[in-house]
Amino acid sequence: MTENMADVLAQADPGSPVERRSLWTRFSSKSPVVLALLALVLGFLIGALVIIFSTNTVLDAWRGIFSSWGAPGHALKVTFDNVGAAYRAMFTGSVFDPSQFWHSIATGKQWDNTLTPLSETLTYATPLIIASIAVGIAFQTGIFNIGANGQAIMGGIAGASIGSMINMPAIVHIPLTLAAGIVGGMVAGSIPGFLKAYTGAHEVIVTLMLNYVIAFFLVFVLLSTPFQLPGQSNDISRTMHSSAQLAPLFGAASGLRVSYGIFIAAAVVYFAWWFLERSSLGFDFRITGNNPNAARASGINARRVIVVVFLISGGLAGLAGVVQVSSTTHYVDGNFLIGSAGIGFTAITVALLGRNRPMGIVWGSLLFAALGVGGRNMQAATGIPLDLATIIQSVVVLFVATPVLVKEIFRLRSSSAQGIQLATKGWGS
Amino acid sequence: MKRGEKMGTLRRLGSVLGAGALVLGTLTVTVAATATAGAASNFKACVVTDTGGINDKSFNASAYQGLLNAAKADPSIKPSYLSSTSSSDYAPNISTFEKKGCGIIITVGFLMDAATAAAANADPSQKFAIVDDAPAAKKSHEVLALQYNTNQGAFLGGYFAAATSKSKIVATYGGADIPPVTIYMDGFVAGVRYYDKLNHATVKVLGYTPPKVCTLTNCAGKGTFVGNFTDQTAGKTIAAGDFSNGADIVFPVAGSVGLGSIAAAQQAGTGHFVVWVDSDSCATKALDAAQCKYIDGTVYKGVTPSVEAAVLSAAKGTFTGGTYLGNLKNNGTGFAYDTTNASAALKAKITSIAKGIEAGTISVNPNSYPVG
Repeated sequence: MTENMADVLAQADPGSPVERRSLWTRFSSKSPVVLALLALVLGFLIGALVIIFSTNTVLDAWRGIFSSWGAPGHALKVTFDNVGAAYRAMFTGSVFDPSQFWHSIATGKQWDNTLTPLSETLTYATPLIIASIAVGIAFQTGIFNIGANGQAIMGGIAGASIGSMINMPAIVHIPLTLAAGIVGGMVAGSIPGFLKAYTGAHEVIVTLMLNYVIAFFLVFVLLSTPFQLPGQSNDISRTMHSSAQLAPLFGAASGLRVSYGIFIAAAVVYFAWWFLERSSLGFDFRITGNNPNAARASGINARRVIVVVFLISGGLAGLAGVVQVSSTTHYVDGNFLIGSAGIGFTAITVALLGRNRPMGIVWGSLLFAALGVGGRNMQAATGIPLDLATIIQSVVVLFVATPVLVKEIFRLRSSSAQGIQLATKGWGS
Repeated sequence: MKRGEKMGTLRRLGSVLGAGALVLGTLTVTVAATATAGAASNFKACVVTDTGGINDKSFNASAYQGLLNAAKADPSIKPSYLSSTSSSDYAPNISTFEKKGCGIIITVGFLMDAATAAAANADPSQKFAIVDDAPAAKKSHEVLALQYNTNQGAFLGGYFAAATSKSKIVATYGGADIPPVTIYMDGFVAGVRYYDKLNHATVKVLGYTPPKVCTLTNCAGKGTFVGNFTDQTAGKTIAAGDFSNGADIVFPVAGSVGLGSIAAAQQAGTGHFVVWVDSDSCATKALDAAQCKYIDGTVYKGVTPSVEAAVLSAAKGTFTGGTYLGNLKNNGTGFAYDTTNASAALKAKITSIAKGIEAGTISVNPNSYPVG
């Protein structure tokens, strides 16, 4: 697990008594993991309320509770049936389905069906992890990169162009495609980087607005000759050659979409951990994020830090974009990462959920991906709109961002006050 | 102090356990509940919508309505739907429904062409119906392409517009330069030119110049296109421009962009009209009375009845793949009156034109008539 800086600081503080913490005190304390889990519980409870108030059969059952002695019990049962069916479908659609699992164990068949939910969750999580790391590294430096989505789109455009318009063997083509994505993201990231470093333009405004510029650039590119799919008049790019695609891990015949992209995500997570915890540049980044004045006083070149962090963050966001394209659709079209599909925006909330730390981000991404994928299964099985998954995601983030509220609701003890503050430090300061 | 802390711990324990029990309770009840379900021999019919979703008051909504109608007609049909948030959702949405055992999967819109073809080739026994598109799924014989010769309905709309226009100038524009859109505009122009020929009139059409040939797959006419199906401001600007150029009837083939043109007609005042497209939203009350005052007719595309028929046939086991071609005869397209602007004589004339188109005696190709 990640090393919690604040815990280290708290123990080093001579004012606080050094105590051995039992498992229970750990659990009942406001440790970030516990807070996130409790936020998740609250998210599911509020999601249950939304299900109850938007499902007619449940409401009808409650309207009739005075009609007979058995009615209140019936209403409770209907409520639990509906809420339970929704959450069960969410779970079986994103993790695994017990009955399907035992069927596979017993007969040795249909393993593809058993593994599909996990495969789908990983497929969705892969680009999200990379994009969230991109946002998280910037946040750790005190830089708000709201433009990760635009940078990811640029990466997707660059990667899809290289992947579809050149022919070469896969061993060269895949790295070149990924590199093109990184460069595309870096180009988009360098604009706010240089503007902030040399003119002091606020990066939130610049990155946020660049998202719109890039979204229209996407439409422009998709409608211009070399990029647009020949013989089409709508906004869609050529399809990437198979030599540039990230192939499914278990082969195309397996039907499982999880691709070699997860190794790229793993490498990015390791890189982020090494960079932030082990490299001297990463140390400069974190010092700048924690206290810009101290950083300047100790001789850290603030301009260089700003430009480099935007290059790294933009490059990773671009990588997320190209991984998304080359592992799923293999083409880019007019609604690529637009609207609620924008992983660059989801990445901001995931980075907050994971407290900007690589492993935290991995868990956060898996959770968000599972909710999204499970939401689809829930809608297919119960008819409850998959927007419920978005509601749960939003509520979780809301509670993670307000630890005091969670603390009050669950009456948690304050064992490391600094740990709590750090969760939201830098957000809005 | 110590004692109080202990009490606090107990209370905390209580609240955490309480929350845990709630969650566990939900899970156990669920397992019991789902064990009993799914035994009945229901026929699952499933719609995968495009990014518009089932509430777009247009295309996706019509397809979903067809599914609901089928479920009403045959109670053994269990409808469900999934909306796509982006094109990367098409394939997983289709495969989710395949795994759910859907008897027929309806995909909406030509953007889902590739995903539908791939899924049909991978599982040739799965039944598909796709609205407004004909995918090339070579390995499967279970794909039904639902296509519509909307130029026939638009021909009637064009004739109606030319006959009711006071200024003798009408206009049209499209959402995107794609065959399902341009074929409407093509038919509209043909209807106007037919009116000219019969009545020795010279009604002008703004916004579209027909190509030599216009088919469902290739119809490259030149004209005014917004570039999307959502920008209502553009719809207002274009229609206001048409009105100031003397037109008094506009035919927007652009989904919700057309709402902007209604606003332009409202602003221009009495005597300015919009001919609506795709679904008769005034009859279904999807548009309000203030808007429908300025809509004098609708060229509709019979998405709802064709989806309904496809689902019903799949449930009965009589489903066959291939192409369904909507036309005036099978009510796959047509023209509906939304105001009383049309006289009884005009209505009778339009009915007889419709008969002529059905019989093939009246051509819907605008190049068959001299330019008025």
